[in-house]
Amino acid sequence: MTFRGKAGIYAIAVLLRLVLFFAFPGLPDLLTGRVEISTPVTSFKRLEEGLFLYNHNVWPYDGGVYHQAPLLLPLFSLLPDSTSWPIFTPLLYILIDLLSADALVKIAASGEAGKSRLFTSPRQGKGSTGLVIAAAFLFNPLTIASCVGRTTSVFTNCAILCAIAKAVQGFSFHAMVALSFASYLSMYPVLLLPPLVLLAYDKRASQKTSVLKFSALNVLVVAGCLSVLLGMSYALTGNSWEFLARTYGIQLTLTDLTPTVGLWWYFFIEMFDSFRSFFLALFWLHLASYVGGLTIRLRTQPLAALAVLLGIFSIFKPYPSISDASLFLGLFSLYTHLLPLMRYTYVASATLMYASFLGPAFYHLWIYAGSGNANFFYAITLVWSLGQSLLVSDLTFAVLRDEWEVERPEMVGKEAKQI
Amino acid sequence: MAPPPSGPTQKDTASSAAASESPAPAAPAVKAPPPETPTAIRRRSYIVLSFWLLVVFLGLPFWWKTTTIYRADLPLDRMLEWADGKACRPAIPIQIAVHADSLQEEEANHLVRLAQHAIDDLNDFSGHHLRLQLAPRQDRPREGEHNPKSALSIHLKPGDATTAALDPYRAALDITYPLNSVPPLHSASSMLTTYIATELRSTFAEEQSIVSYLLSASSSPTSKPAGLSPAVIEALEKRATRALRYAPTYHLTFSLFTDGPAPTTWDIDTAINEYMKPLLDVLGPIHNFTIDTQVQLYATPGVQSQTLTKDDLASFINAAEWPLSPSIGGAPTINFLTFIGNQTIGFPDSEGQTSQSWMIPQWGTVYLLSQPDTNSHVPKDALRQPMLTFGGHLLTLLGTPQSGSLPLRLSSLSRIRSADLLLRASDTLGSLARLSRSLPSIAIPRNVADGVAKSIRHLEEACASLGSSEALYHARIAEEEAERAFFEKSMVGQLYFPDEHKIAVYLPLLGPVTVPLVMGAIKEIKRLLQARKQRAQEAKEKKSQ
Repeated sequence: MTFRGKAGIYAIAVLLRLVLFFAFPGLPDLLTGRVEISTPVTSFKRLEEGLFLYNHNVWPYDGGVYHQAPLLLPLFSLLPDSTSWPIFTPLLYILIDLLSADALVKIAASGEAGKSRLFTSPRQGKGSTGLVIAAAFLFNPLTIASCVGRTTSVFTNCAILCAIAKAVQGFSFHAMVALSFASYLSMYPVLLLPPLVLLAYDKRASQKTSVLKFSALNVLVVAGCLSVLLGMSYALTGNSWEFLARTYGIQLTLTDLTPTVGLWWYFFIEMFDSFRSFFLALFWLHLASYVGGLTIRLRTQPLAALAVLLGIFSIFKPYPSISDASLFLGLFSLYTHLLPLMRYTYVASATLMYASFLGPAFYHLWIYAGSGNANFFYAITLVWSLGQSLLVSDLTFAVLRDEWEVERPEMVGKEAKQI
Repeated sequence: MAPPPSGPTQKDTASSAAASESPAPAAPAVKAPPPETPTAIRRRSYIVLSFWLLVVFLGLPFWWKTTTIYRADLPLDRMLEWADGKACRPAIPIQIAVHADSLQEEEANHLVRLAQHAIDDLNDFSGHHLRLQLAPRQDRPREGEHNPKSALSIHLKPGDATTAALDPYRAALDITYPLNSVPPLHSASSMLTTYIATELRSTFAEEQSIVSYLLSASSSPTSKPAGLSPAVIEALEKRATRALRYAPTYHLTFSLFTDGPAPTTWDIDTAINEYMKPLLDVLGPIHNFTIDTQVQLYATPGVQSQTLTKDDLASFINAAEWPLSPSIGGAPTINFLTFIGNQTIGFPDSEGQTSQSWMIPQWGTVYLLSQPDTNSHVPKDALRQPMLTFGGHLLTLLGTPQSGSLPLRLSSLSRIRSADLLLRASDTLGSLARLSRSLPSIAIPRNVADGVAKSIRHLEEACASLGSSEALYHARIAEEEAERAFFEKSMVGQLYFPDEHKIAVYLPLLGPVTVPLVMGAIKEIKRLLQARKQRAQEAKEKKSQ
């Protein structure tokens, strides 16, 4: 991968985004309003509302609309006024996208996907180059849409990718700080801690310290970082912990039932009130239950565990958007060398395309045309989740099969139904 | 996914008894996989364990915490006692002060004692009894206001003949008696005492029959109250259907409807102040009132005919088009409607309605006011008669007894209302107790228990003070709290939730999740047992060697 190639790709990506931002002035606001892109906890519109209140010395959560982390407010109020200088917000988002792509390039460059400390894939080196991976991420329509739609999940994604990039480079402290930022912004990334710690441990120059000691140290770093961030938020929101209920509380209790591409909103609209809290706990446990099993099973390939977990989160988290899918697809492209082992790539990609074209149409039928109902949109989000889960399970299958073929070399090329 | 040409191969048959450690170079189509490595086995155990740890240490506590039904302790027996009327025998004592300043102290005492005997002999209903009491002598009896505790004061004055007259402005009964009718000391009875007794009894007859009707209706809805004639019962039922349910506040709407373009203005403000306000002021201790007024032009009534028959009266109100909102701000609305038009009512002598107005039970009153078309203004004087009619009907709509002087009727109303509220609150408590007994799965939040406790406390106080003015206050709070507890929102939602529904709630999601979890656990346990057996066997073999 040449420097020039990289710079070229980045330049084209920046140019494409700038064109989308400024040649079509209505586009950013249109995308901001789409439920597929903006969820109640990541929407830019809601951020602007919070920002307005914050700049007028009103407690930002008073409007009942803003549910995002408090520290985003000073960041955005530092930018020059968006009405008179509309260039800066797009530039910030483009920069974040480039940072994410750069992190992906670093991950790809480390070759962690093909060869980890405990495992070397026979297909090592057959994967895509960092350039292709960066391009696949930057020119992914989902990534572009979430960038132009200016959702704040872009920041979370960037923090997660940076955390992984730092971990594969062996800088465990930096990785933990980046993960703390991601967790602070969206809460769910804290579940990535176990595989990330293992990844950082595997990548350290020496394994003199035990895993337990290393993990404890890193957990302490994350806890310290998070408490600093939360403490700053506490000071920022007028010395009250009320913001916790308005940000993470919303995600935990799903009080805002705005439709998203996920599975929660419809389920909790239909839920009996008396069982609501039980099923909320159940859904969250379901989300968390994958962490232990996958980390243990994919102990030899923590990066694969991270990729699969991110895929699962983008299906089952409370307020998913296509931005989460774009993060998963970015990590998925690291595993192109396993594509021959996958069985349902065609079905999965066709399903995803089908859902992404029909989703907006069905939403229009439901909300604007009035000729459909909520079931239309929910059905298409089910298809979307089905496509994603096919992809996730297929990736898991391929990773395991890759491992299995090392154990059982005689089975290479033969069909396996189950591993 | 087409199968490869090499033919089907079978994997993962889990039979670990495979003998071939190294696969034969030219194996047949079906061959057993090599045994799992110990690391793989250990890894699987860890995975199963990780899921089960989550289920046991987080899932089960969450399940327990979020689905247990909170049932606050309710004093069920006590509530049922109230409902059955065992906790309180409602008895309304009515104090009557006797002012007999012209008599000797002893004579007066004797007279009162005798009259009390006469009353007790006449009275056959224990829930309502009159108590005579000799008022302390006063130098100026006419000016001395009657004791607030007593419902009525009797002023005995010597005169030519035995007469009785209710004072229209105060709760007082003036009785004159010929001097010779005063019972001499030691006599057992006299004309005067009997006269006083019958007079008092007739004064309180209506209240007594209403209370007895209420009590009997609450204890068993089908039984007729004893000692009341069918005609009286019918009248009481009519009163009950006419009167609005008790509310601390009523909203009065005065409307002027006209079928033409005039009149456009009316002197309602001064009319209300002059003719309604005094009445509302005396009703003040029992009810609060809020008032609004409106004028509607070109309002067509539901009936167009010139002469209104009895059937027409029911459909006169054009409910679809006339803006008579049923309730503003929670308080029940009483409508007083003045209709400007030249229609007349066909039968003027029917009860409760004059030739120009009629009352609609539990709703309000309509008054037909005829006026020349040219008048664009309704003066105060024209509104006098409608307002007085409205005032009279308001009393009926509030359930005031018909007989007696106004002060007496009002104090009677407050006693009747407090008894009514007391019974109603007890009834609600009983329903709540039965509900919570019959539905063991219903949640009972803490505020329901608080409401019940408060209700019972105020019921007790109301029961103890029945007949006085605090009784109404306590009964009102008791009823409010009981109603709030009964209609608690979070309880009503779960009114019917049988256990079969729980299966329908849990199974679709948890069923598919549980199967692999349980199967995994069973497999692991089996493997552990087998491994232990094997180890024991190996140890035995070692020993025997």
